[in-house]
Amino acid sequence: MLNKIIDKTMNPKDAVQEFISDGDTIGIGGQSIGRVSTLLAHEIVRQQKKDLTLVGCNLSLSMDLLVGAKLVKRTECGSGSFERFGTAFQWRNAIQNNLIEFQDYSHLAMASRFLAGSLGIPFIPTKSMLGTDLLKKQNTNKINPFEIINNPWQKDEPVVLLPALQPDVSIIHAQMADKSGNIIIEGFTTHEPEMIKASKKVIVSCEKLIDSEFVKSHPEKISIPYIFIDAVIEQPLGGYPTSVYNYYEHDSDHILYYQEKARSGGKEYSNYLDEYIYNCKSFEEYIQKSAGTNKIKALKDSMLKLL
Amino acid sequence: MVTSFTLDDLMVIEASRQIQDENIVLVGTGLPMVASLLAQKLHAPKMCYVVETGNIAPEVIPTPTSVCDPRVMYKAIKHGSLLDSLGGILQRGLADIAFLGGAQIDEYANVNSTSIGDYSNPKVRLPGSGGANDLASHAKKILIITRHEKRRFPKNCDYITSPGYIDGPEGRKNAGIPSKYPDIIVITNLCVMEIDKKTGKLVITKLMPSISIDDVITNTDFEPLIQSSINVSNPTQKEIDTLHNEVDPLGVYLKKNNPINN
Repeated sequence: MLNKIIDKTMNPKDAVQEFISDGDTIGIGGQSIGRVSTLLAHEIVRQQKKDLTLVGCNLSLSMDLLVGAKLVKRTECGSGSFERFGTAFQWRNAIQNNLIEFQDYSHLAMASRFLAGSLGIPFIPTKSMLGTDLLKKQNTNKINPFEIINNPWQKDEPVVLLPALQPDVSIIHAQMADKSGNIIIEGFTTHEPEMIKASKKVIVSCEKLIDSEFVKSHPEKISIPYIFIDAVIEQPLGGYPTSVYNYYEHDSDHILYYQEKARSGGKEYSNYLDEYIYNCKSFEEYIQKSAGTNKIKALKDSMLKLL
Repeated sequence: MVTSFTLDDLMVIEASRQIQDENIVLVGTGLPMVASLLAQKLHAPKMCYVVETGNIAPEVIPTPTSVCDPRVMYKAIKHGSLLDSLGGILQRGLADIAFLGGAQIDEYANVNSTSIGDYSNPKVRLPGSGGANDLASHAKKILIITRHEKRRFPKNCDYITSPGYIDGPEGRKNAGIPSKYPDIIVITNLCVMEIDKKTGKLVITKLMPSISIDDVITNTDFEPLIQSSINVSNPTQKEIDTLHNEVDPLGVYLKKNNPINN
C-alpha cells in the first residue's frame, strides 16, 4: 500500500534536463492531430538534445519539430502523418535528402514491439507485413528489424518476429495525473499504454493535476500506475495545437500554418522555430502567440459540444 | 428519378453497398468513413465501426478530419488502444471489411503508401503504412476507394506497403498472409474492379454511367482485364439525400459540383 505520496512533479526544463540525454531513443506519445506532447517536444528542441532516435506509431508534430530542428538521427515508426493536414513534411524532407535513417513498420508491428518491451520479453511474433516491401526493402542494416521463422507448432506457417522495444524515455501528454504519476488517459490511447510500460523513463505532462485521494477512490479510472512514471508536469494546453479529448479541439489554423512552414522549409521553417519556440520564454507565450485567449476558448467550447 | 449526382457520389455509394449488416468494419476517415456511415444509415444499421486508434462503435458526428477527432469517439462503446483494434480485433481475424487508400495500386491490388521512386532515395516520401498493411493482411474483404488517374494505377508499385495478391492467385497464401483469398474491390469514379481469384489480377466488373471501357483503359497504366461492362446502378434518391444531408452535410468530402443530370 502506498501510504506516502512520492512527489514527482517537476517543471519541463528540469524534467528534460534530468531524464533526456543526447543519443537517447525517445518514445513519442499521441497520434496524428490528437494528444501530441507539444510542451515536451518544444522543451527538447529548446535544450538541443541531439542524435535522437524517435519511435512510435503515427507520429506527427513532435517528430516533425525534432527532425526539423536537426536533432534526430533515426526514426522507427508506422507513419509520419497529420492525416488530412498532410505528411510530416520536415520528416519527409529529411528522408528525401538522406538526412536521417528510417525504419518502416506497420502500426500493429510497432505496438507489438512496445508490448514485448512492456512484458520484458525479447521479441514478439506478428502475422502482419508478410509478402510486402516492409520486409523486403530496408534503408539501413544497422539493426536487424525482424526475423521470419516457421511456426514451431504449425508446419509451413511463416511468422514474423519483431524485436522488443524499450525506449530510454517516453514523452506523453495525458488528461490527468496525480503528483506521484498515476495517470488517466481519456478517449483513445493509441500505442501509449504499451509504450509507457516498456520505457525506462517516462515524462508525463497533463492538463490537470488531481488529488491522490481521487486515485484511491477511483482505481478503475487509472490508465497507468505511478511505478512507470518518473516526472509529472501540470501544463494546461500542453497538447495544443492538437486535440485533447474532454478538454479542447485541435486548432486547424495553426496546424495548417505549421504545415505550410514545414513544407516550405529553409528560412521559413527556421523562422517558425525562432518565433514559436526559441523566442518564447514560456509555453504560455507560445499559446498566446499562436492562438490567443479567444481562440482557446473557442477550441474548448467546441470540444464540449462533441462530448 | 434522381435529380443529380456526381461520379464521386456514386463511387462512395457503390462502396457503401458492399457493407452488410452486422459487419465489423475497420475504418479511418475520408471517403471510407463516408461510405461506411452511409451504409450504417441505410442498410447496415448494426454495422460495427472500429477505428484503429481504439474506438469501437461510435455514433460518428459529421464530419471528422482525423482518427483522433472527438467526432469519431462520440457515444462509442469503448475507447481502447491501437493494440485492441489492430491486434485484438483485426489480427485476431474478426474484421469483415477494411478500407485502404494509397498513392499507387497495381494490377494485383498491391498498394503503395510509402514512397515514390527508390525507397532509400525517394522522389517523394509518403506517410507510410500506418495501419494499412495490417488491414490488408488480416481483413476478410478489402475495399479501396480512389479517384481514377493513370499514375495511381501503375503496372508495378514502387513499393508494396499493403498486400494485394502480391504476384498471382496464390501470392498471399505463399507469403503466409493470414487472410489468404480475400475479396478485394477497387471502386473509382470510372469503374469497379475486383480481384479475379483465378489470376490474382484486377478485372473490370462494372462501369460508372457514361463511362466506357476505353475511358478506363486510357486512365490505367496496367492493362485491366474485362469481365463485364454492366453499369453501376444509379443512386436512389434516398442514397443521395442521406449522403448529402446526413453523412457529409458540410460538403467536406463530397462537393455538389459537376452533377450528371439523370
